[in-house]
Amino acid sequence: MTATLIDGKAIAARMRADVRADAEALAAAGWVPKLISISVGDVAAAELYVRNQHRQAEAAGVAFESRNYPETISLEQLTGVIAGLNADPRVNGIIIQRPLPGHIPVKALQKAVHPLKDVEGMHPASIGNIVYNDLTLGPCTAVAAVEILKTLPLKMEGLDVCVIGHSEIVGKPIAFLMMGLGATVTVCHHMTRQVALHSRAADAVFVAVGKPGLVTGAMLKPGAALIDIGINRTADGRVVGDADFDSCAQVAGWITPVPGGVGPVTVAILMKNAVLATRMQMDHYRAAFAAAV
Amino acid sequence: MTARVIDGKAFAANVRAQVAAHVARLKEEQGLTPGLAVVLVGEDPASQVYVRNKGTQTVEAGMASFEHKLPADTSEADLLALVARLNADPKVHGILVQLPLPAHLNSELIINTIDPAKDVDGFHISNVGLLGTGQKSMVPCTPLGCLMMLRDHHGKLAGLNAVVVGRSNIVGKPMAQLLLGDSCTVTIAHSRTKDLAEVCRRADILVAAVGRPEMITGDMVKPGATVIDVGINRIERDGKARLVGDVHYESAAAVAGAITPVPGGVGPMTIACLLANTLTACCRANGLPEPEGLTA
Repeated sequence: MTATLIDGKAIAARMRADVRADAEALAAAGWVPKLISISVGDVAAAELYVRNQHRQAEAAGVAFESRNYPETISLEQLTGVIAGLNADPRVNGIIIQRPLPGHIPVKALQKAVHPLKDVEGMHPASIGNIVYNDLTLGPCTAVAAVEILKTLPLKMEGLDVCVIGHSEIVGKPIAFLMMGLGATVTVCHHMTRQVALHSRAADAVFVAVGKPGLVTGAMLKPGAALIDIGINRTADGRVVGDADFDSCAQVAGWITPVPGGVGPVTVAILMKNAVLATRMQMDHYRAAFAAAV
Repeated sequence: MTARVIDGKAFAANVRAQVAAHVARLKEEQGLTPGLAVVLVGEDPASQVYVRNKGTQTVEAGMASFEHKLPADTSEADLLALVARLNADPKVHGILVQLPLPAHLNSELIINTIDPAKDVDGFHISNVGLLGTGQKSMVPCTPLGCLMMLRDHHGKLAGLNAVVVGRSNIVGKPMAQLLLGDSCTVTIAHSRTKDLAEVCRRADILVAAVGRPEMITGDMVKPGATVIDVGINRIERDGKARLVGDVHYESAAAVAGAITPVPGGVGPMTIACLLANTLTACCRANGLPEPEGLTA
């Protein structure tokens, strides 16, 4: 193996320490950052994530409350709940856990969250800000992937980047975040004729498709950075990414492992968003109601 | 080989005719008249010409045109109040605040105060995000016009390599989103791109939107590619003022499969798409099916 392994856990730990310092400063000003997690119906699928988020929140000095609503709740009732949380000054961030039951469209809920409390970065206004190169609250996974790349000794300006997968919450926001940093970005997807043609020209490759083994060493430029965002469970119960790790590690200059790469950083970004959102709300509140102070 | 010239004037006339036919149907069947409100602050001569053209073409398409001309020293509060009134007016389906605004007005705040459903320019931050997440939105007029011409020329765009040169908020970025939406493999190149010629030569579809006269030359074009030139640059040559695009037309046309000229290419499509967006906004506001072939 020639590639340097990127330690996502260590990056996440450093971020959490910074977040914790910010959270403590906010708490001292009377604004303890607080997240509300909303899940609906059968929680088994999301439980692991929620528990993990809860633990990380505590480690970062962020209050966390998990709420579960019955499967039978209507969309109107849920948007009503969110409207209440939007109006509650003690709540600073709202997380919509997936999966949701079929009758609750996730986009309708994401749109209902106030943009200042959108810690998942899923509101259209949050995505619009990214496109306009004004990053405030960005989608956690995409931001995490880009933050990982930024820890490497690479100049982002002029960097040739290939993003494989054009999902709305990962691939596309990564493309726009990287473009904002001055990279030349190519977005590939299932309709791309020859992915290898594009990936081999790239100094950095992001892959977020959900297909194990999709990227092989032969598709990489020697020395390139490979950020693997895929999380796939194999038949024998292992968790693997979208890259064929062994062959890619022979060719890449840096590579993220799965697990232990993008995953831990994603949760750290959620906490970073929580303190960012809290700070924005505090500033907004002071500007609106305490201008004279 | 010489490229097929894509006649933007004829194409735009056809779009306007489609819009007019649809508007006539809306009036007859639903008793609805789509309305476009254009707000002009100050007396910028170029903006006055644009606003006049928009008004004329709106009326020609059978729609209602509401022009609001305000003095250059209009306060932000007054302008915001006007936008709020237009948001609430059921006769107004599209609102366009002509940019640039005088320096004392916060353009971002004013654009983001327009109801996103009436934001026919597609500049509201929510529309940008909706487009970015593949949801129904109002799409900026110039890239929408380019997309219509590309679909007309190619039929299906899926799988084609598209390169967009320029990353502006009003053309480059939405253009990239639209091409991704049609399943192109999209590269966005710009001033920081290391080897622009090499990147451009990969393109089956090359969209130039940088605002630099004739910077894309024939040697940067893949033989047979479709070249869309969004640039409009005023230069002086042989002592005469001329309009040229971002593409060096003669050399590119010798290599490309199809090309838009400047003037007479993308330019005329912008107002045609503004009318199309106003019609779309009217249909959506009334729960009617969207006009086919006139949306993203």
